[in-house]
Order: sequence, then C-alpha cells, then structure tokens
Amino acid sequence: MNNIIEVKNLTKKFGNFIAVNNINFNIKKGEILGFLGPNGAGKTTSIKMINGLLKITSGEILVNGMDANKNRKELKKIMGYMSQKFSLYPLLNSLENIEFFGGVSGLSRKTIKKKEEEIKNMVDPLLLRQNVKDIPPGIRQKISLFVCLMTDPEIIFLDEPTSGVDPEVRRNFWYEIYDLKIRGKTILVSTHNLDEVEYADRILILHHGDLIVEGEPGGLLKKHKKNSIEDLFKDAISNHEQN
Amino acid sequence: MRIFYLVKKEFIEIFRQKELLPLLFIAPIIQIILFGYIVKTDVENIPVEIINLSKNKTSYRIINRIKNTPLFNVKKISYKNRDSISTLKKGNIKAVIIFRDSFNKNKNILKYPEIQILMDGTDSNTSSIAAGYFNGILKKYILSDIEKMDKKLSIENKTLIRFNPALKSINYMGPGIVALLLTIVSLFLASASIVREKEQQTMDTLLISRLTSIEIYIGKALPIAIIGIINMSFSISVVMIWFKIPIRGNLFILFISAIIFLTAILSYGLLISTIVSTQQQALFFSWFSMITFILLSGLFTPTENIPSSLQFLVKINPLSYLIKIIREIFLKGNGIEYFYKDLLCLSFITILVISISISNFKRLISK
Amino acid sequence: MNRIRALIIKETLHILRDPTSLLIVFLMPILMIIIYGYCINFDLNNVNAGIIDLSNGENSKKLIKKFTNNRYFTIKDLREKYSDPLKEGEKLLKSGHLKEIIIIPADFSKKIEKGRKTEVGIILDGSDSNVANLIYQYNELILLDFQDDFQNLNNFLKIKTKVLFNPDVKSSFFFIPGLIAVLLLMITTLLTSLTISREKESGSIELIFISPLKSFEIILGKTIPYIFVSLIVEILILLSGKILFNIPFRGNMMVLFVFSILYIITGLSLGILISTIASTQETAMFATLLTTLLPSIMLSGFIFPLDSLHPILKGFSYIVPATYFLKIIRGVVVKGAEIKHFIFEGIILTVFPIVLITISNIKFSKIRERSK
Repeated sequence: MNNIIEVKNLTKKFGNFIAVNNINFNIKKGEILGFLGPNGAGKTTSIKMINGLLKITSGEILVNGMDANKNRKELKKIMGYMSQKFSLYPLLNSLENIEFFGGVSGLSRKTIKKKEEEIKNMVDPLLLRQNVKDIPPGIRQKISLFVCLMTDPEIIFLDEPTSGVDPEVRRNFWYEIYDLKIRGKTILVSTHNLDEVEYADRILILHHGDLIVEGEPGGLLKKHKKNSIEDLFKDAISNHEQN
Repeated sequence: MRIFYLVKKEFIEIFRQKELLPLLFIAPIIQIILFGYIVKTDVENIPVEIINLSKNKTSYRIINRIKNTPLFNVKKISYKNRDSISTLKKGNIKAVIIFRDSFNKNKNILKYPEIQILMDGTDSNTSSIAAGYFNGILKKYILSDIEKMDKKLSIENKTLIRFNPALKSINYMGPGIVALLLTIVSLFLASASIVREKEQQTMDTLLISRLTSIEIYIGKALPIAIIGIINMSFSISVVMIWFKIPIRGNLFILFISAIIFLTAILSYGLLISTIVSTQQQALFFSWFSMITFILLSGLFTPTENIPSSLQFLVKINPLSYLIKIIREIFLKGNGIEYFYKDLLCLSFITILVISISISNFKRLISK
Repeated sequence: MNRIRALIIKETLHILRDPTSLLIVFLMPILMIIIYGYCINFDLNNVNAGIIDLSNGENSKKLIKKFTNNRYFTIKDLREKYSDPLKEGEKLLKSGHLKEIIIIPADFSKKIEKGRKTEVGIILDGSDSNVANLIYQYNELILLDFQDDFQNLNNFLKIKTKVLFNPDVKSSFFFIPGLIAVLLLMITTLLTSLTISREKESGSIELIFISPLKSFEIILGKTIPYIFVSLIVEILILLSGKILFNIPFRGNMMVLFVFSILYIITGLSLGILISTIASTQETAMFATLLTTLLPSIMLSGFIFPLDSLHPILKGFSYIVPATYFLKIIRGVVVKGAEIKHFIFEGIILTVFPIVLITISNIKFSKIRERSK
C-alpha cells in the first residue's frame, strides 16, 4: 500500500506556545488512522494543518505526492472534513444545511436534489425539517457526516465525531466508518474515547504536541505487554510526562 | 453561483430569528415616528415659580405676560418669600422669578417693580436662552408702554426664512434619523455575522468549502446591504408620507450616496466581526462605534462646535458626510455641485475601510 | 444559598476569563467621556452672517458694531466683496457658508435720527430649525439692545438675573453628568443582555435547567457578579469626569453611590429580561441597542429638555430609567442636592428592578417548563 499522506517534521506554534512539535507520520491509502490524546494534545491542530485550515509553522505535508500548501485548490476537492461538534447551522434545518454545503462545495443543483432524496431515506423527513438546534445529537452527527461525504472525498477527516452521543449511536457510527473503508476511502479519526481505537487500523497517540506512540493496536498491546489500550495510553502519557 | 447559496443561508438565518424581525423592520419605523416628534430643541414650557412681593399693579400685568408666553410654564405663584434654593435643588422648578417693590429713584413717570430671576444653570443652554427671552419680554413690554406715551422708536425685525420656512425641526432631523437607523441596522448585523460563525464553529466548514475569501466576504455583506436598503426605503417613505417632508433634490443621487455609505459601514462592521472572538465583544465595539458616529455626525449638535484639534474625528466619520448630503438633498434641493466634495471624501473613506477590512479578513482565513 | 454561590462563582470566572471584554468594558466609557466631553457642545458660537448695509450711515454702523462685538456672530460685509451682494449672499446661504444675511435699508440711519419707525431685513437659513431659532433670538436681543441705547430702558426697570449652580453657564456641567448616566445604563444592560441567550445558543442552558436551582436563584446568580463590574465602571467614569472636566462634586458622594447602586441593578435587570426573551445573541444585541441607545439619548432629558417635550412623549420618558438617574446625578453633582430631594426617584429606581426581575423570572420559568 502506498502512502496517500506524508507528514514530515510538522510544527505549529501559536506565539510561544508549541501546539504541535516536529511530528512525522504517514497515512496509507484506504486505512483508518486513529488520532488519540487528551484535550489540547494537538490533534485538532494537526488535522487542520493537513486539510489547510491552519498555516504550517514549519515542516512539510505531501498529499498524493503533491505539496499540500501549494495545491490547496486541487486538494479541497478530494478532502472531506467533519469538525468538532458537528458544525451545522443551528438555525437552518437539515435539508437547508445540505443544500447550503452542497452549493458552496460546487455541486450541481441536480446532485443536491439527489442528495436530499438520499437523506430522506436515511432519516425521518419530519426531523429533517426541524431546525438543527432542535434535533437530537445522534441525528445531528448523521447529517454532519452526510454533509462531509457529499462531495465524495477520497480522504476524510473526522474530528471527535463521537463526542456527546450515546454508546449505541457511537457503535453505529463506526459501522459507517468501516463501510467507508470498504469503499476505498482513507479516514483519519480523532477521539478521546479509548475504547474506540480498537476499530482503527493504526493509532497515533499525541501528548503536549509530541507524537509518543505509533502502531497497530494489536501489535502495540503485545509489544508493551498491556491488556487494554487504556493501560497503554496511561502508561505512555505518564512516561512522557516524566521526561 | 456558489455565492447564491451563501446569501440564501444568511437570509434564512436572519428570518428564522422570529424576535429579530420586528426589531429589524418595525422598531426603526416606530423610532422614526417617535423621535420625529421629539427632536425639537425649541425651549418652551420651562417650569417656573413666581414670588410676588410687590403690590404694584404692573407686577400683575407682567405676570400675566409671563403666563401667556409658551416659554414659561408657571407652576406656582406665592406672595411670601420662600427658600428658592431648595426648590431649585429638587429640580422640578427651573427658575424662580421674584418681584420686589423697590422703585427707581429716577423721575420716570412709569413705575416698575424690581424683578429678580434665579435660574438653575445646570442646563446651560436652556438657562441662557430663557434668560435672554425673559429680558426680551420685559423690554418689549416697556417699549409698548413708551409707545403709548407717544415716544416711539422701534425697529421691526423682518425675517425671511429659507429652506424650512415653518422652522419645523422634523424637516431637519427626519432625514438625519434615516441615516442614523441605516447605520444602526447595518453595523449591528455586520458586526455579528462573522463572529457568529466562529462561535458556532461553522467557520471552518465555510473555509474548507470551495468558496474563496472574497466570495465569503461578499456573501456576508450582500444580504445585510439588501436589508439596509429596504429599511432605508421604508424609513424615507415614512419621513415623506407621515411627516410630509418633500424631497427637493435628486432621489437617485441620494440612494447612490447611501449605498456608498452602506459599503463603508458594512466593511467596518465586518472588520469588527473579524477581529473579535465573541458576539459580546462585537456588541461592545459596534455600540461604541455607533455612539461615536452619531454624536460626532452633526445630527444633534452642529459639528462646528467641535474643537479644531478634534475635527479630524468628524472628517473620518462617514455618517457626518451622509447626514450632510441627505440634508442638502432633502431640505435645500441642492444639486451635486454643492456636495460633490463630501461625496468624494465619503467614497475615499469607503475605499480605505473596505481595503483594510478585506485584507484583515484574508489574514483571518490564513492563520 | 450555597447553590447560588456556586453559580455566582461560575459567572465571575466567566467574566474574568474574557479579559478582552473586561478591558473593553472598563476602557470604552473613559474614552467616550473624553471624546464626547470635548466634542459635544450645545453653545452656538461664531455664526457666519453676511451684512448688506445700504444705509451706510452712522446709526447703521453702530448696529453693525453691535453684531460684530458679539461672540455669537462672525460678520462678513457682502457689499465690500461682491457687485451683486444679495445674489452672492443667497448662493452662500444655499451652500451653507452663511447662516443669515442682514440687510439694512437705505433710509435706516435717517429714520432713526428722526425717531421714526424703521426695519431691518434678515434672510435666515431655516434648515436646522433649532439653530435658526437661536439665531432669531440673538438677532432680537441685539436689536433690542440697540434700541435700548436710545431709550435707556434700564432706567425704567431693574432686572437682576442670577444663574445658580453654574454661573459660567458651561455646558459641560450639563453634559458630563448626563453622559455618565446614559453610559452607565447602556453598559449595565449590555453586560447581562447576552448571558442567558448565549447559553440558549450553545445549548448549555439545558444543564442549568436540570440543576436543582430555582429559576429565581439562577437569575440572581447571573446578575450579582456584574454589580461589581458596573461599580468599577461607574467609579472610573465619575473620576474621569471630575479630573478631566472639573465637574464639581458639590453633594454627598454617598447619596450618589446609594442611588447609583439602584440604577446599576435596574440596568442589569433590564439586560437579564432581554436575555430571557431573546433566543439568539443577535436578537438580544439588537434589542439592547434599540431599548438603550436612542431612548436614553433622546427621551431622558440628556439632550432635549423634558419640559419642552410633547406630553405623550413626556409620558414615554417616565419609563426610561435614565430619566430618573439623570435628575439625581445632576442634582447631587452640580447642585449639591440631598437625599430628601429624590424620594420619588429613589422609589421608582427600586421598583424598576423588582418589576424587571419578576417578569424575567416568570418568563424564565416558562421556558424551563417548556423544555421538560
């Protein structure tokens, strides 16, 4: 498998604060990569640098072998992004949100209509006509993912997609992520729910901007002789803090 | 085409805030009507107390005169000396007029009581006008007495009033208030529009879409501009129909000037919105700017009174130009040759603000 | 009580965590006092007037001198400059360079000499009716004064005018205390007007709803922390008024302090009410601007004397809180008035917050009920 994204010596500073400290990793085409770490570890910052929302302080990101910074316009077309808290417009209903995001992403009117029909088969149409601020978080998450996938992106960034929803919804959400993988998409998921990472092909653990662990979940457990990801995570973080 | 979706979304967001709609469209009209009646600084009905210690007949006649002028509202007449200072401190009475019998020793045939007027000087404007008026009333009274004695000498003041012959203040203030409401509505909407996206975390989604920064900027400004223009047309109609103020000049030039002004205010509002991080901060900034724009625009007080070291504040205030232009067009019916300089200055300010605003917005986008 | 304390602490933290807003709240009023204090002036000086003297006699020159030696007017002799002074004068009037043209007829000087009736023609720019009215009054005064010189009216009548509290008739004595009152109301209302609607927008209001706190306690908990912020603001603006503009503090500061606490609570309660009603921050912002900005400037006696208002509008002024505090602050600061002068105003300023908080409480409980 070839690398679809290569991250080299990536650093982000906000003033004197180092949010991401010289990290290196690759993402292979068609894999699910789990981004792990406590709040403020630098997960969102890294994602935003890769998808172009934040400027890079230093380092390099290659997507499909192209310099991400120089080919923003091209790359926008193959990337999908679902930000924290499912950022939909609370005063618009779901259909209007879909129409809006479809429209500003450059979809044709016909495609947007087709997408609207599609969602109507997935979610109760009554709920679709309610303003987003009044619908349950589970549905909001579903709509948000749908919006993210509307342009049929190759690489999908999901930033804390499962925060604030109940365990059942969370499980169903992961089935959908698997489904995406089967369709050949590359997926980067950040989360702080440790029990979720076992679904990922590979995980990265970030702490204070440093990349401290990288590998397959099963392999990592064997290597560090741990029973659960949780133990591994706690251990890695306390080790890193001592250094 | 993409921008159409953004404009549509902005409109839905505004129109779905049900409590906001009447505030945006009806409240301004009510305020115009209400304030149309207020804005006259003609001083009248000053509450006075009269203390008449004189038994002279003329004192009664002069008191009658005072009662009949619209300037004073005689609240109380007493015939004993009272603590006038305490009365004035309470603030319900603004002046105390005292008549005393201490005649001049001159050999004049006419005898007048000595008159003393105590004014509350807190409101400097009112008190100096009132004092002047009061002296005038008395002097005229004496002059008419003298005239009866056939010793007349009088100069008639024949005044011809141009542009607003009935001296109706609404004619002057009404058009200005239209400009004021245009400022309030558009500045406020613009200052909230970007920071709201930041607060509800939709900004990122907007930025990652195919929209270019200029498209986002225009998509934000356009709906507010449309609402502003609708609002202005409403309020101009109210001013023209309700207050029967004729528009003497060119309505087209008026709208062009208003649109230039609107562009400046919108870019300024979007600039605020780009800089701040919460809607509360946006509220404070736009509120502060609004009061400054209003008070330094010449709407309520002539700008000539501002000290020359601070005149630049008027010069950079876009509202001061619009108010001047609006008045030229409404009241005087002046053509563009009378205010092309103001229009040029306004346009210059607009270009300046818009370029600062856009460059700032671009910087926000590429953090 | 413990529960309320927790909420107060949370709100206080919220205030302190946003130093930018805090800085704006403290700095802006001072900036405003400075700018407006220096810039706003109601006195009318140096009105540009053109004179066309057709009489050119001794008496007409005397009259012109009266106009010239007066701080109200800056006189321009139009006849000296233009061949057709009337036509040019009218043009200058139209462009706003002149506010009035004074025309003295050819037979003026002679008629005065003979003690006969005569006239002066004046063309006045009426577009700003207030200014026009003032100019008209000034003209009258000068003309009367001129006649006075011939008649010695003062021999007949002695008028003593005494201006109390503000003998130099400075408009800053009027304006600065008023500005303090208006700013204070606007700031306090702005402070609380977004608190509840912000929580509604972010959804965190649900957390408050399910807490064991009573609605009334929630509202108090959201109001109390801002009292301190507002008091600091008040002290800052009073000080800048005193230091920069030499406003005398003739009265007892404690009196002012007591009333201002009532006034501050009124503003905060008004903000809370707006915040309870509005469901988005944007609505709350706009409602705040509309209820505080123009009414406080125009309906409180801040610029336009209330006594001269139309009776219906005067009725409106009674529901504007600034009206009452304006009276108090001007009374205490400029006139040295005492508590006994403001019993009525004090009662009203106590009733205001009680009513506002009660309505907010009812409204808030309703929303809470509905969300269940």
